[in-house]
Amino acid sequence: MKGLPSLFPPTFHTFFLPGALLSHYRRHPLQLLALAAMIVIATILWTGVNHLTSQARASLNQSEQAVAERQQVVRNDGRALAIDDFVALRLAGVCVMPWLEVTPETGSRLVGIDPLAAHCFGAGTGASQALDQPLDGKPFVDVYAAAGVSARESRLYLLTPEATQATDLPGGYSLKTFATSPDTGELGDSFLLNLEALGVLVLLITALLLRAVYLLGLAQRRDSFALLHRFGVSPEQVQRWLVLEILVLALVCVVPGVWLGRWLAAGLGGGFGQALDGLFDIPLYAGQGHGWITPVLVMLEVVVIACLGDLILLRFRGRLSLPVPGRAGLATALLVAGLILAWLGPSLAWVFVAVALVFVGAGWLTPAAVAHLAHWCADRSQTPLARWRYRELAVLARQLTLPLVALQFALAMVLAVQALVTTFEDTFDRWLGQRLEAAYYIEVPAEADGRKATEWLTSQQASVPGLQWHRVIRGQAELTDVGNAGSPQVDVFAVSPVGSLIRVWALLEAADQPWETLASGDGVMINEQLARRQRLEVGDRLQLVLGNQPQVFSVLGVYPDYGRPVGEVLLNAETLPETFNIRFESLSVTPGEPGIAPVTDTLQQIWGVEALAMRNNGTIRELATGVFDQTFALTRAMTLLTLILAASALLMMGWVFFSTRAWYFRLLVVWGMSQREVAGQLQRLALVLTGGIAVLALPLGIWLTWVLVHRINPLAFGWSLPMAVYPTFWLELCILSLAIGLSIAALMRRHLGRPAVAPASASALTGGER
Amino acid sequence: MTESLLAVRGLSKHFVSGNETVPVIEKLSFTLGQGQSLALTGRSGSGKSTLLNLLCGLELADTGTIVMHGQVFEAGGTAVLRTAKAWSALRRQHIGVVFQDANLMPAMSLLENVRFRAQLAGRDPANSEDWLTRLDIGELAHRYPDQVSGGQRQRAALAMVFAMEPALILADEPTGSLDRHTSDDVTRVLFDLQARHGCGLILATHDSELAAGCQQHLDLGHLNAI
Repeated sequence: MKGLPSLFPPTFHTFFLPGALLSHYRRHPLQLLALAAMIVIATILWTGVNHLTSQARASLNQSEQAVAERQQVVRNDGRALAIDDFVALRLAGVCVMPWLEVTPETGSRLVGIDPLAAHCFGAGTGASQALDQPLDGKPFVDVYAAAGVSARESRLYLLTPEATQATDLPGGYSLKTFATSPDTGELGDSFLLNLEALGVLVLLITALLLRAVYLLGLAQRRDSFALLHRFGVSPEQVQRWLVLEILVLALVCVVPGVWLGRWLAAGLGGGFGQALDGLFDIPLYAGQGHGWITPVLVMLEVVVIACLGDLILLRFRGRLSLPVPGRAGLATALLVAGLILAWLGPSLAWVFVAVALVFVGAGWLTPAAVAHLAHWCADRSQTPLARWRYRELAVLARQLTLPLVALQFALAMVLAVQALVTTFEDTFDRWLGQRLEAAYYIEVPAEADGRKATEWLTSQQASVPGLQWHRVIRGQAELTDVGNAGSPQVDVFAVSPVGSLIRVWALLEAADQPWETLASGDGVMINEQLARRQRLEVGDRLQLVLGNQPQVFSVLGVYPDYGRPVGEVLLNAETLPETFNIRFESLSVTPGEPGIAPVTDTLQQIWGVEALAMRNNGTIRELATGVFDQTFALTRAMTLLTLILAASALLMMGWVFFSTRAWYFRLLVVWGMSQREVAGQLQRLALVLTGGIAVLALPLGIWLTWVLVHRINPLAFGWSLPMAVYPTFWLELCILSLAIGLSIAALMRRHLGRPAVAPASASALTGGER
Repeated sequence: MTESLLAVRGLSKHFVSGNETVPVIEKLSFTLGQGQSLALTGRSGSGKSTLLNLLCGLELADTGTIVMHGQVFEAGGTAVLRTAKAWSALRRQHIGVVFQDANLMPAMSLLENVRFRAQLAGRDPANSEDWLTRLDIGELAHRYPDQVSGGQRQRAALAMVFAMEPALILADEPTGSLDRHTSDDVTRVLFDLQARHGCGLILATHDSELAAGCQQHLDLGHLNAI
């Protein structure tokens, strides 16, 4: 190429070379449009998912600080706090922040807080930042606005930082833990982790689709490149122009794609934010961020690597290329290694590596396996048409490798996410149901004696129809004989009596008559986290130090516990020694026919307090279920969008590929088949292809579901979700896949009606692939 | 005069280009006897390929009648579907078509292509390998079209046509993409087998030497000029 400058003046390279290269798109504008559309849609989708996830993650971190368990100041006499208490405490130099919970006559609960007092929690900390935010929406309002609401019920809390000691308080006050909501933080974390995994998969799928569309266009331009080469233009020069071309195209498409993605995320984010707000009782969704550069750069990188990866790897191609059996062997090895690693991987990172290996192996093997199977069937077919069809199927599987693999991944992902979300929904609903089995939850006030309440409730048991209740004592114990170094602390969840409200709990593992044995005080139950962490099983014995007294219990059962990271022991409260340090005490009550009023009135009298901290469990359950429904609907919408993208890409690629092959389908007409018959053959071909991909996506999707619920979730959070399969949804996916096949066939049928141009040669550029 | 295989009477075909109607074939009449050959010549665009398409029912004429293998096809009839079905049956069993290139299914070997065509025509595919051998490409039977030369592909295309035992062969520039030597070779085989099997042949070509090998000659360029 040294002589090129003399042969071609600079104007050739400046104007005519790009002109010649771009002439392909002048002839095929739809191809350029398709590539551009693919980049834009891929960017929208990934930006949308990524934006939602990162915003939700940021919001969650912020909110975790805000809703973190902290302490409150309470009156020792059990009376409700009033503004005078606030004044007394501030005069005594105790930093407290008012937190006014108001239940209006109509509408949902409001929380009034005083941003000016948020400095108590330290400037610059997450808590103060969270609480310093403008209080412009539900459920948080300014404390003065909350005080002005016409309320059915209101209660003032005074929050104080961790640094405040009991000795700092004036007489008549004490410290107590304060939690704003049931501790469901890990469910949110788990959901976000899955959403992030979905984002990575979406990126992979979009990269595959982009590569497919780009390579198709490149294959059709190969004649032009060969011609330029004959004219003396070096391949390096062509490659440089191709790099520039895709960079310009990517820039032009990625920027509006990111903008549209953020717009989409903002639209969905409202619902998403509302979902998270409801779940955590605090505004969680941080709204639109300002990070434009990262998504633009990531998508530019994806576009360049997906489209021009070959150019980058060109010099290594000789060393990297493997013979076909070698490739199949490597793909199988990757697949098997991934499967084993996913089973045995000791950490989350290894499991993610395993997932990547399985996807690479499966993606590599699937088209080759379909082609191999098709050839095998062709060799054994008796009818000429079936043989032709199988041979064509093999060609299609090889030529449409990338969009087919993308569709397979998308189908597998949708299947896994659907199974996960549905399992989440069912499990959460069941778990919430058993945790909120009682109609009301009543806190036992500080200084009050819970036993007096239980004596009264026991006396009422026989006379009040439908009355169900138990007393709950919470605290901590030390686990001493687990054979590990150190003595881990576990939470204690003690109930008494072990009645019908607790016996509805589903157990993952259980001994014979576990509840009866628990009621007799001869054993304990443990949560899944503790069982996994300490490798405990039913029948094992464990020694707990309860109030400085070691006691040995046998494990009667293991129960699922999705909301918390810590190990927990469920035992009969009657077995607790007097020295046990009670951190928190409550009653779960279903009052029966007389309603809750007689119960609360009596309890107020027994405890000598003016008001009770009480929660209606039905309302909480309704709220939480509604919130999760909305959140899961969002996840489903995102996966559906991915599926639509993959389907459109396959449709487009299928159409383009069939178009290049139209001549050969016309040959069948020339050989005496009617157009209707040929269209029928095309339809069968497209249906077998897309149906086959759906069938091959099923094991991958089921495996991915298993990895998510049985490997990733336990490794990330210490608890697993039950593995459930949904064959009806599989059927829906298969039908969807067949519909894609039918659409390709319908497009081709239209194409068959037009005169086909004979290919110039039987080369790989003109549909003559085999 | 041999028994008539094909009779064409007053055949016309025009295409519409924008607002303009372009006549391609006008009031063409001729006959072809069993075992006879006819060369269609004329410059590009004179209607050679269109006429071949009309003679095998891939396109329908505007006016005129075609009598093929005892079946009468009147242009402008209302029974379009029945006509299309009848033409399909004729093409499947009695008309062999050879194009300039791309006559073979790329995903099937040469042998599979020949078998496929024979089976579509309802003939015994057992002789397929023999046909390839007779056309001197027997040893390439299991190769794919992109693994053989252009001349070998055209020989395979001829093997396909003869394996279906056609009554009429329609060849559209069958040697157009071949070099002189290979072209002569393929032409010799074509005429030889056509004469031996007694089927009719209509050959569209620019090549006057090739046209001279046919018993009849129809210059479409000349007809249209007139």
